[in-house]
Amino acid sequence: MKRTIKYLAGAALIVALVAAMACGQEEPPAPAAVEPTAAVTPTDVMEATAAPTATEATSMDTQGGGRLDAVRARDKVICASRNDVPGYGYVDDSGNNVGFDIDLCRALAAAVLGDPNKIEIRLITAAERGPTIQSGEVDMLVRTVTWTTSRDAQWGNYAQTMFYDGQGFMVRKDLGVSSALDLGGSSVCVTLGTTTELNLQDFSNQNGLNLEVLTFEDTPAVVAAYESGQCDAFTNDRSQLAALGTGLQNRADHVILPETISEEPLGPVVPHGDDQWFDIVKTVMGILIYAEAYGVNSGNVPSAATGDTKVDRLMGLEGAFGQETLGLSETAAQDVIRAVGNYGEIYSRNLGPDGIDLPRENGRNALWANAPCQDCPKGGQIYAAPLR
Amino acid sequence: MQNPETTLPSILTYQGIPVWRHAQIIQWVAQIASAILVVALVMWFFGNMAFAIEDREIPFGFSFLGREYQTPIGEHVLPYKSSDSFLYALVVAATNTLVVAVIGVILATLLGIFIGVCRLSTNWIVSKLATVYIEFFRNVPLLIQLFFWFYIILALPRVREGYVILDGLYVNNAGISFPGPSASGTMPALVWLALVVAAVVVGVFLHHRLVRREEEIGRPSYPFVLGCVATVGIAAIAWLVLSGIFGDAPFSISMPAPEGRFGRIDGGVTVRAGMLVLLVGLVIYTSSFIAEIVRAGIQSVGRGQTEAARALGLSPMNTLRQGTFPQALRVIIPPWISQCLNLTKNSSLGGVVGYTDLTNVAITMTQTAPAINIFLMLMAAYLAMSLTWSLIGNLYNRRIGFTG
Repeated sequence: MKRTIKYLAGAALIVALVAAMACGQEEPPAPAAVEPTAAVTPTDVMEATAAPTATEATSMDTQGGGRLDAVRARDKVICASRNDVPGYGYVDDSGNNVGFDIDLCRALAAAVLGDPNKIEIRLITAAERGPTIQSGEVDMLVRTVTWTTSRDAQWGNYAQTMFYDGQGFMVRKDLGVSSALDLGGSSVCVTLGTTTELNLQDFSNQNGLNLEVLTFEDTPAVVAAYESGQCDAFTNDRSQLAALGTGLQNRADHVILPETISEEPLGPVVPHGDDQWFDIVKTVMGILIYAEAYGVNSGNVPSAATGDTKVDRLMGLEGAFGQETLGLSETAAQDVIRAVGNYGEIYSRNLGPDGIDLPRENGRNALWANAPCQDCPKGGQIYAAPLR
Repeated sequence: MQNPETTLPSILTYQGIPVWRHAQIIQWVAQIASAILVVALVMWFFGNMAFAIEDREIPFGFSFLGREYQTPIGEHVLPYKSSDSFLYALVVAATNTLVVAVIGVILATLLGIFIGVCRLSTNWIVSKLATVYIEFFRNVPLLIQLFFWFYIILALPRVREGYVILDGLYVNNAGISFPGPSASGTMPALVWLALVVAAVVVGVFLHHRLVRREEEIGRPSYPFVLGCVATVGIAAIAWLVLSGIFGDAPFSISMPAPEGRFGRIDGGVTVRAGMLVLLVGLVIYTSSFIAEIVRAGIQSVGRGQTEAARALGLSPMNTLRQGTFPQALRVIIPPWISQCLNLTKNSSLGGVVGYTDLTNVAITMTQTAPAINIFLMLMAAYLAMSLTWSLIGNLYNRRIGFTG
């Protein structure tokens, strides 16, 4: 009897705890009500963006603004990314973590710390992305993250679309399937905790396909299950299908179906609550894009005024585009482009001819139609806030 | 109780052991200090969480539970469609976890007892084989074992080229399908199942009565046989009566068969590869621990007990069954409970092998619902499951324990 009472008491405690959490829903927990007991980490508050709460910072060194200072103090940019998809985040022959997403992290480190190698990559699964960026334990999440409104509301701030993707399906040729609409009654493998998982359900419902879905935590397991025929098809962003296809034993036996069932704008995400840092990341992405548009690449970064006002402004040789307000050095763009190259170079190194060979000409991931560059691909959607 | 006027001087004139060496005072101070520490720690955790929620605008609240989940759940024991709510999806997922936990614990326990007894066998080969089994499976990380079984299953032929055994058993890398019951209607099926439960209760009751009768009159009363006959009899009569009333048997046998252009198996019961891999992995891993617990339990029973049983003329099997094992149970049950808990919690690795367990679904939910709330619910759910195991185990332990 006594023990039963103990269990009941334990259960009551849990219920009370959950109830207390539920109450917080109507009434956001006021910081004043909760006594911060740990020592305050004195981070200089640059801007007044989150000043009222920043002074009450409890444990982490990067709360409420001041992430830039925290990054500088730590002398390292921490990014959450991956090493399991060629082109985006992969391990090269000499064991380095390389890829499009990794290069974006390197660009940020070059801008903020002047050295692209001062990065730390935290390898996470797709499903860990939300909690990782919500907790603010990393400075930037670049792991083929699709921008959606609920993620923007819940996870962090999407800085800039750096790649436009869409979801597709890969099947074996010998199934004789020519359209995703023929997949009714098949089994489809998908990675856990991704927009592709959500889109798959929408697509299945809309077309009455009654798909059998197999979810795996890791993308390599998805590929293994697909390749062995445990599922008939596997679904992911089209570019990742192409990238992962390079790892299949016999690529010619597989085909990517023509349908694109979703919009997947990919780009870096920063934690909520630090506008300065958010703006810095947006600006760095803009630097990469405009450097390509202005024809500046890693080989021809000017260190003296060229006379071209736009180039000189970008390179910090004449005028400014807000570097000082953001807390960046005058010549941050020079550091970035020297270290990682412009958008076009990053693309071709990882996703283009020197990487997984995704065509860029006439695609969505070319620069905008009227980009001032002479011979870079145009007519796409890659565009950023003008740097001025 | 003395009043303050008289106690105060006695404190001031205290001349006993110095306070810093006074055992009772030290104990009290230690108690109070640790209580303050615990409270401060908990307050700090919650304060930190509340602060982070505020600072990073992390969404918080349980209003999402009523919304439509709109996400697939691969394998589900309960019926599920994507228009069901988050709350129901969590229930579906928790049921998936419970199914694996319950089946896993039963199988792991049976296998563990078998291996544990084998290890104590006087047969050299049997005992060494059991030792190798135990030492191998409990020393290799579970995650690696799961991947091993996962790739073993993948190596089976595809569903269209899979093995068909006796026209009703399909084995392929998507899972195992076999004939199973299919309810002809919800009402007759439920009524019959209820009657079966009643029949089991009657059977157990009868068994108890007959056992007591056997002890009283000293002549065999066949409690087991008669109990089974009663149960089966009632169930059979209920079946016939219900068939008569509804014009159709409550259940019919559904045969699995390939369906459609992809040849996926439809009908019957299919245990999908993800569940199979997870179950095999968990059962083998956990059974190696249970085997050691069983061995320790049996060895803890005094040698005299075995000798006494043998002197009474019991066979080695009966010595174990009626002599040593019941006594060993007292040592076995508490660590066995821990293994049940471990198995239940380890089932959260299902995501890596494609089984949609509670953790798997909860993680998917964090995409469209507040992560903190979901993880709080996840923790509460596992806590509830674990406490239930503990409760069952402890109740059983008390029943078989020494009394008085």
